[in-house]
Amino acid sequence: MITVQGLSKRFGAKFAVADLSFQVAPGRVTGFLGPNGSGKSTTMRCMLGLDRPDAGGTTFDGQPYAQLDHPLHQVGALLDAGYVHPGRSGRNHLRWLAASNGLPTSRVDETLAVVGLTEVGTKRVRTYSLGMKQRLGLAGVLLGDPHTIILDEPANGLDPEGIRWIRDVLTHLAGQGRTILVSSHLLSEMALMANSLIVIGKGQLIEECSVGDFVGRYGDHWVRVASPRIGTLAEALRAGGAVVTAVDDITVEVRNATAVDVGELAARYQVTLHELSTQTGSLEDAFLKATSSVQEYTTGAIR
Amino acid sequence: MIDTLRSEWIKLRTVRMNAVLAIIAVGFPLVITVLTALLIDADDMDAEGLIGLVTGTSIVTGMLLGVIGAAGITSEFGFGTIRPTFAATPKRSRVLIAKAVLTVVVGLVVEAVMVALCFGVGSVLLNSRGGDVQFADAGDARWALLGIVVFAGIVSLLGFGLGMLIRSTPAAIAVLILWPLVGESIVGGLLIAAGLDNPFKWLPYNAGINLGNPDAGAGTDSLGRVWGGLYFFVVTAVITALGALSTSKRDA
Repeated sequence: MITVQGLSKRFGAKFAVADLSFQVAPGRVTGFLGPNGSGKSTTMRCMLGLDRPDAGGTTFDGQPYAQLDHPLHQVGALLDAGYVHPGRSGRNHLRWLAASNGLPTSRVDETLAVVGLTEVGTKRVRTYSLGMKQRLGLAGVLLGDPHTIILDEPANGLDPEGIRWIRDVLTHLAGQGRTILVSSHLLSEMALMANSLIVIGKGQLIEECSVGDFVGRYGDHWVRVASPRIGTLAEALRAGGAVVTAVDDITVEVRNATAVDVGELAARYQVTLHELSTQTGSLEDAFLKATSSVQEYTTGAIR
Repeated sequence: MIDTLRSEWIKLRTVRMNAVLAIIAVGFPLVITVLTALLIDADDMDAEGLIGLVTGTSIVTGMLLGVIGAAGITSEFGFGTIRPTFAATPKRSRVLIAKAVLTVVVGLVVEAVMVALCFGVGSVLLNSRGGDVQFADAGDARWALLGIVVFAGIVSLLGFGLGMLIRSTPAAIAVLILWPLVGESIVGGLLIAAGLDNPFKWLPYNAGINLGNPDAGAGTDSLGRVWGGLYFFVVTAVITALGALSTSKRDA
């Protein structure tokens, strides 16, 4: 269990994180979302004691990070895959990390194998692609077989196979009861991977809930109906106050009415249905709606 | 602490630049010593003269070891590896102490190897050409060989301290090299112009270099080998302590 309590971090006069509190439960993948500049990375750095918070703190199973004697055994973190010396080999990078926490070199070779870098382990990191650096960073996370894992944009630079791999790995690790906190801008990926979400904007908590609840609260919902007599049904729906939008000759999208309402109405008018399904907007849509008022950087239209 | 020392030792050994600098640090004075021993009249150089040559050329060694010390921490800031380092070892003082210990030990060992090699090879070459260079004949000048080793250890620590304070590799190396070459001359000149009598003996590098001076202590214008070395060490220790404080308090 990760507990963040009243965390604040200021750079000059500007608060990057302001009185932020949340909990990350074990046994699930928790997505950490927020627009650019919302304070996600600063929060993660403060959690690990790398940035000194102005107020508040974080505990890992009740202990502050600074009090962990061999933290790699308890918390594995990857904040940026670029934090490697380019002149050092990937294996040697892992060797110093392992040695710092009393882990044997055999563990280095095991984790290199897990992330698929055994063959290039002795090559210097400057020859690695971004995806390979991500894998190396993940090897560092897994070195101590930690109970808690914190990843900042782990899929960045990975190819589709790599993205799928990391999703499977994190889901598997969460299934073992570990605590996983992952930030990512790949919301479609997050929708597949995360069970819970922590959404922040301008350094403050916006939502802390399950993915389903978040999409339910902020996402769009409608009913998709297809029928050879769609005109009759659409007219009846509009008369009942529903908003009906045509998709094609036999299909419409209905808002302000549930699938049950549509089904009952179709039965009353003896209209045959080819499709009747409840549709829900994507996590991306919900995220954009939830964070629309706290976007640090907004884009303009291309003319 | 042992784990942290092991980790930092792996870091030090696995960056090629450190090995290259160490080789140059030993090789440069050795080449100068060999060329001098081969080219001068063997009778013109006694043991004290050879010690002066070795300690004189090994100032370059000290500087290069200082560069290794500085880069040992500035490269961590530059490449961002300070973050995984402090994430793996949250007690920052432990990391900084391990780095300082290794920096000083490497400085002392490399300099000691260089001094032994240079004096050994130089004396063998000079004696083979009819000279008479005996270590025992050098008298008090022999302490300069030990002194220059200690000096290298302190300069290594100074590089590390400056690296912690400045955080940038080029800037830290520039200060490390330009301060003794230019900085102290300018400051000394200004202090003389301001009316101070012989301020150079109070300038840290000028005081510290007495550690490797075969004639140190003979004159009245210097602090001498022991007090000069001690003074240089205290200044270095203060810079290192300030750097450690800054690194411990600031965001990584």
